[in-house]
Amino acid sequence: MKRGSHDCQSRLPDNTALKQQQLPAYRLQLTATIILSGFFITGVFCLGVGVILLLSAKNIKEVEINYTEKCSDCAKLRENTANFDKECTCSIPFYLPEAMKGDVYMFYKLYGFYQNLYQYVLSRSNSQLMGIDIKDVSNCAPFKNSHNGIPIAPCGAIANSIFNDTIVLSYNLNSSMSIKVPMLRSGISWWTDKYVKFWNPSSQNLSSAFAGTAKPPSWPKPVYELDEEDPENNGFINEDFIVWMRTAAFPTFKKLYRRLSRIQHFTEGLPAGSYSFGITYNFPVTKFQGEKSVVLSTLTWSGGSSLFLGLAYTVTGALTWLAFFAMMAIHLRLKGRKTLFHQE
Amino acid sequence: MTVPKEMPEKWARAGAPHSWSRKKPSWGTEEERRARANDREYNEKFQYASNCIKTSKYNILTFLPVNLFEQFQEVANTYFLFLLILQLIPQISSLSWFTTIVPLVLVLTITAVKDATDDYFRHKSDNQVNNRQSQVLINGVLQQEQWMNVCVGDIIKLENNQFVAADLLLLSSSEPHGLCYIETAELDGETNMKVRQAIPVTSELGDISKLAKFDGEVICEPPNNKLDKFSGTLYWKENKFPLSNQNMLLRGCVLRNTEWCFGLVIFAGPDTKLMQNSGRTKFKRTSIDRLMNTLVLWIFGFLVCMGVILAIGNAIWEHEVGTRFQVYLPWDEAVDSAFFSGFLSFWSYIIILNTVVPISLYVSVEVIRLGHSYFINWDKKMFCMKKRTPAEARTTTLNEELGQVEYIFSDKTGTLTQNIMVFNKCSIHGRSYGDVFDVLGHKAELGERPEPVDFSFNPLADKKFLFWDPSLLEAVKMGDHHTHEFFRLLSLCHTVMSEEKNEGELYYKAQSPDEGALVTAARNFGFVFRSRTPKTITVHELGTAITYQLLAILDFNNIRKRMSVIVRNPEGKIRLYCKGADTILLERLHHSTQELLNTTTDHLNEYAGEGLRTLVLAYKDLDEEYYEEWAERRLQASLAQDSREDRLASVYEEVESDMMLLGATAIEDKLQQGVPETIALLTLANIKIWVLTGDKQETAVNIGYSCKMLTDDMTEVFIVTGHTVLEVREELRKAREKMMDSSRTVGNGFTYQEKLSSKLASVLDAVAGEYALVINGHSLAHALEADMELEFLETACACKAVICCRVTPLQKAQVVELVKKYKKAVTLAIGDGANDVSMIKTAHIGVGISGQEGIQAVLASDYSFSQFKFLQRLLLVHGRWSYLRMCKFLCYFFYKNFAFTMVHFWFGFFCGFSAQTVYDQYFITLYNIVYTSLPVLAMGVFDQDVPEQRSMEYPKLYEPGQLNLLFNKREFFICIAQGIYTSVLMFFIPYGVFAEATRDDGTQLADYQSFAVTVATSLVIVVSVQIGLDTGYWTAINHFFIWGSLAVYFAILFAMHSNGLFDMFPNQFRFVGNAQNTLAQPTVWLTIVLTTVVCIMPVVAFRFLRLHLKPDLSDTVRYTQLVRKKQKAQHRCMRRVGRTGSRRSGYAFSHQEGFGELIMSGKNMRVSSLALSSFTTRSSSSWIESLRRKKSDSASSPSGGADKPLKG
Repeated sequence: MKRGSHDCQSRLPDNTALKQQQLPAYRLQLTATIILSGFFITGVFCLGVGVILLLSAKNIKEVEINYTEKCSDCAKLRENTANFDKECTCSIPFYLPEAMKGDVYMFYKLYGFYQNLYQYVLSRSNSQLMGIDIKDVSNCAPFKNSHNGIPIAPCGAIANSIFNDTIVLSYNLNSSMSIKVPMLRSGISWWTDKYVKFWNPSSQNLSSAFAGTAKPPSWPKPVYELDEEDPENNGFINEDFIVWMRTAAFPTFKKLYRRLSRIQHFTEGLPAGSYSFGITYNFPVTKFQGEKSVVLSTLTWSGGSSLFLGLAYTVTGALTWLAFFAMMAIHLRLKGRKTLFHQE
Repeated sequence: MTVPKEMPEKWARAGAPHSWSRKKPSWGTEEERRARANDREYNEKFQYASNCIKTSKYNILTFLPVNLFEQFQEVANTYFLFLLILQLIPQISSLSWFTTIVPLVLVLTITAVKDATDDYFRHKSDNQVNNRQSQVLINGVLQQEQWMNVCVGDIIKLENNQFVAADLLLLSSSEPHGLCYIETAELDGETNMKVRQAIPVTSELGDISKLAKFDGEVICEPPNNKLDKFSGTLYWKENKFPLSNQNMLLRGCVLRNTEWCFGLVIFAGPDTKLMQNSGRTKFKRTSIDRLMNTLVLWIFGFLVCMGVILAIGNAIWEHEVGTRFQVYLPWDEAVDSAFFSGFLSFWSYIIILNTVVPISLYVSVEVIRLGHSYFINWDKKMFCMKKRTPAEARTTTLNEELGQVEYIFSDKTGTLTQNIMVFNKCSIHGRSYGDVFDVLGHKAELGERPEPVDFSFNPLADKKFLFWDPSLLEAVKMGDHHTHEFFRLLSLCHTVMSEEKNEGELYYKAQSPDEGALVTAARNFGFVFRSRTPKTITVHELGTAITYQLLAILDFNNIRKRMSVIVRNPEGKIRLYCKGADTILLERLHHSTQELLNTTTDHLNEYAGEGLRTLVLAYKDLDEEYYEEWAERRLQASLAQDSREDRLASVYEEVESDMMLLGATAIEDKLQQGVPETIALLTLANIKIWVLTGDKQETAVNIGYSCKMLTDDMTEVFIVTGHTVLEVREELRKAREKMMDSSRTVGNGFTYQEKLSSKLASVLDAVAGEYALVINGHSLAHALEADMELEFLETACACKAVICCRVTPLQKAQVVELVKKYKKAVTLAIGDGANDVSMIKTAHIGVGISGQEGIQAVLASDYSFSQFKFLQRLLLVHGRWSYLRMCKFLCYFFYKNFAFTMVHFWFGFFCGFSAQTVYDQYFITLYNIVYTSLPVLAMGVFDQDVPEQRSMEYPKLYEPGQLNLLFNKREFFICIAQGIYTSVLMFFIPYGVFAEATRDDGTQLADYQSFAVTVATSLVIVVSVQIGLDTGYWTAINHFFIWGSLAVYFAILFAMHSNGLFDMFPNQFRFVGNAQNTLAQPTVWLTIVLTTVVCIMPVVAFRFLRLHLKPDLSDTVRYTQLVRKKQKAQHRCMRRVGRTGSRRSGYAFSHQEGFGELIMSGKNMRVSSLALSSFTTRSSSSWIESLRRKKSDSASSPSGGADKPLKG
């Protein structure tokens, strides 16, 4: 353990702030003033936001029609898979007492459909959906290949279970005449989904691009025939398909189905009056005790948020204020007694 | 040997309890040891251990397997390995393999690197010791050999000041009669020199040729740990010679004042007494470690419970819903029933929820401790300028335990004291000298001393001697008769040997440092002891050489507590000079000196009050006839066959009466700097200090007073010195009764009934008044027996101070063990010598005093520094902060992981218990090691609640650590509760919002990925705000880490969700576009803000209330100026309290008897220095006999010598 003398000199620890634990620092002191003013400001903020949210949520008009029961015949039919090729339609009239002004959105809403199951969420092939490798079905169990071994496109449980009801909204101009409300089927998915996540395989036409693949077992038509009206909306970039593929977080969810095209009678939105939904009932929900409904709704700046957020904010703000007053009282009382917490 | 006399046989047994002695070599028990000198071939047959010492654990080849094996013995590591294996099973894997393997590899690597560095240093120190050189006699030639190559049966040569390489049988030495001097400080802590002697037949073997022919064989006991006992027989030339400990040189001793000696190696390496005494190396864990392990087990149990709940949920769900949902998601092929699905889901959830036991916990804890260790190493205030040694944290795993110490066990010599004796004050004929006065005549305080007295008039003066009172020198120069007589006494009455290498260069070989100090003082004041022969003493008195005839030395012993010389001065007058303990001497003074006696007594009280060791000096004139007659009687007594000792004593007593008082001396056993202050501060911090010393009771008590452990304010100091079990028990009982009595009178009138020992303990806990306990070695041996240890412990713990003297190294360890066993308190042992090693290793924390000659204590220690006073900084600053930081760290760590993990649990109820995670896999992987690790690490390393000066000012701040307040099971549950609360909000607020929400363009918001991003973001923000609140000391580093972590989170989030990565690995990075889409929504941000507010506000409110309604001391210290001033004043006045009343005199405390005889016989004088002497007439063998007898008497074992002492 003998060291040279120069070495001994070097054993003297450096006199740096870090090594001597003297780093300049702000000592966080949660003084009463800071805490109380913090609570006060937070209370103001929360109450303000809460009120704004509640007011804007009040402006939202929403109509939800559950058609699980209303189309029970169709539902029964669909419970038997053998009837998959039998068409079943169902019309649901309803009355809109007040006009829905502005942009109106049509959603389908499913109850009790678990799009968030672990196996379910995994069961897709992004490289297939990107059009890179149409035959890559490695992650798609249990819907990888059709029974004759051909890879399914789009593969996987998500794609296979796509919501395939057709919903058409008609407006009854008068008792005898009704017109179809014009709806847009584009712009209902995320931009990044449509332009990054989903691509059709490159080929002259779609059917040849999907050659050598099978359609998902519960699909009536192959993927390249999803939209008969708009050939651009076919294949993996079909927007209904894209919307479905973005799996929901909870077993009850609504997904955007159509947007109102504000032309003709509907430039101001949906006028009051009687309407009816014409539904082609394909998607069986009663099998798993689920339900489905169709929703018409307007939106505000914060989207279609419900009352929850506004209420939560208001309650939080109120509680914060309550706490503020309670703490203030305690502080003032103790301050009178002790001089312990005087601030310089 | 140095162990006290009259030590009962029992002690030897008790000194080696089974736990320590049962350390046998694996190949079987060695019955006896045979070693033949100069015959390696013969000795090799027995395969004795070589002299190579190995403390390292690995070598390059074994490192990886052994280290990995060790690491996987850690429960946590095995647990993670198990998880990793689970994750490889595809049916249950709910996370990717990398979420576990990345942290696991990280942990293993960091630990392995640390272990490797530790072991490297162990190798280095082993090598250093093993490669020391020694001279070995091989084939008739002395050869340089490394220590590790020395074998049993070798003859090795030692030179002055060399360490003894192994346990040797002393064969011969440069000194007459095969004597040699050794210092055993490394071994037992005593620094006075000891004599060892070769047996007569071998002492003639002075030169190499004779030694080379020596072929004696030693048969002796097997290796053991008894330092004071050795029995064996030397067979040589068909004769048997008994061997005792008196003939042995033990490894660790240093040869002193002896030019060379030869020894035969009996025990080598691990068999040596030193190594046998070093105890086992135990892996030390802190109490927080143990608590942490318990908590991890609990958490694991909790994890299993959650797994079971979720598995049941899964089975039910699959049965009710899942079966019907099979059109869209058929069951896996392996799954045939809902029950089996539940079983699989149990394992899946175990994997998902494993983050409640965060693997990074262990690494982070290690990193934080490492940081704290560096702070200790770097601390300038713990750097000793004089010795140029910094403090060193030798282990990095115990830091927070430093903040919880309740008992300190301290060695005395070299730890509390410097082992330097200084002639400090004296009282001569009623006048006291030595006080330092400033110009105005006030007593000057330390540090403002004027120039020391100039001794330049005296060419023989010792330059190192300092004295501050010039009046004493004036008195000498004035020719004051009493002063001259005083110093004459000091220069004559002693057993010091002088050595004069060159003219005027005097060296004194004092057998005890006290004597050395006195003789040196006389030397400087002009009474220079120059040389001695068996019959004369030559003194230079103020420049003129005067030779006194030495007629007799009336030697010191423990009962007499004094020594005298009878000299004849050149004028022919015979005078007896005596110095001794005041209690003894004051009774034997001539009654005519009453007035002088009173003033001297006052002075003695004053000196004692300052903690000085006092001696009273007296003389007596003898007339010629009386002396002749007395000398005759003395001769008769010394020739007596039976009870010679008693007879001699009475003869001595007769002449040492009616003496004239000369004065008194006061010697300062120099304490280390700042010892009393440190002890006072530590006592205020509620730390109990026990002194365990090998020194004598008087010395120990004296030091106890001078370092303010014992004070006269104390109600009583109990002294336990019983020799038998019954006596000790009785003494302890009395002590307890006394304490009880006083507490009954002081207390509020409760009546105490001796019923249960548990009750007894509780009563003793509340004892009023301050008590101290002094217990000595043989009483301690009884007190430590199984049936009495509890009694002893209770008594001792009720006392404010405990001093154990005359204890062996193993007893030190036993005392520590005892407190550890019953008190559940953290113990710290501090010492400097090899005799403290076992105690240092036993205590929770071992501290070694570095910068001394020996390094064994430092090598065995966990922390080392060179001054006792640094202990206060180590404990009150570093320890306290470490504990605080570690506790805050742990609280936060468990909190953040519960907040993180429990969200999965709630989500389980909404995803059919399918083991779906809430977050992205990358988030799960990175959360603990990237997003939240650094801010909490920074807090764990840098946080401070109050500035360091405050922790010294308010020692009470240390108490939360001792009481374990900052992190215990209760705190843990609070953290967990907070974590769970956070997780509930973290899940249900976004759930409430998302259930109905859409984006502002109507597209989907309530999708799984957006939900994951929202929850993850609010989690990161909430835990960041929380760490911001927890961080009390925001340095630039904290800012950098906290803001940096947030920035890194968003950077990684956007990178992971970017198009580029998705294009490359579409199946891995599924969250493409999520960050920019989700985080662009005002609803999402409103949700995050709301979550943060709701999670944080209650915490702030809770803290506010605690601060106001139940503030703890550190809060108060932080917030108030007022209280501080008050305590400061208190602190100051406590510092210097004078003491009067009890007097402690100790005559040459480390003195040993026998030296007077040694001098008179002339045996220890070189032939050269004896040139003039007419040799003594007494037969030399008789002297050696009696010396031997005394030695063996003092050694405890009955087998110590061939001739048993006659004394009863």
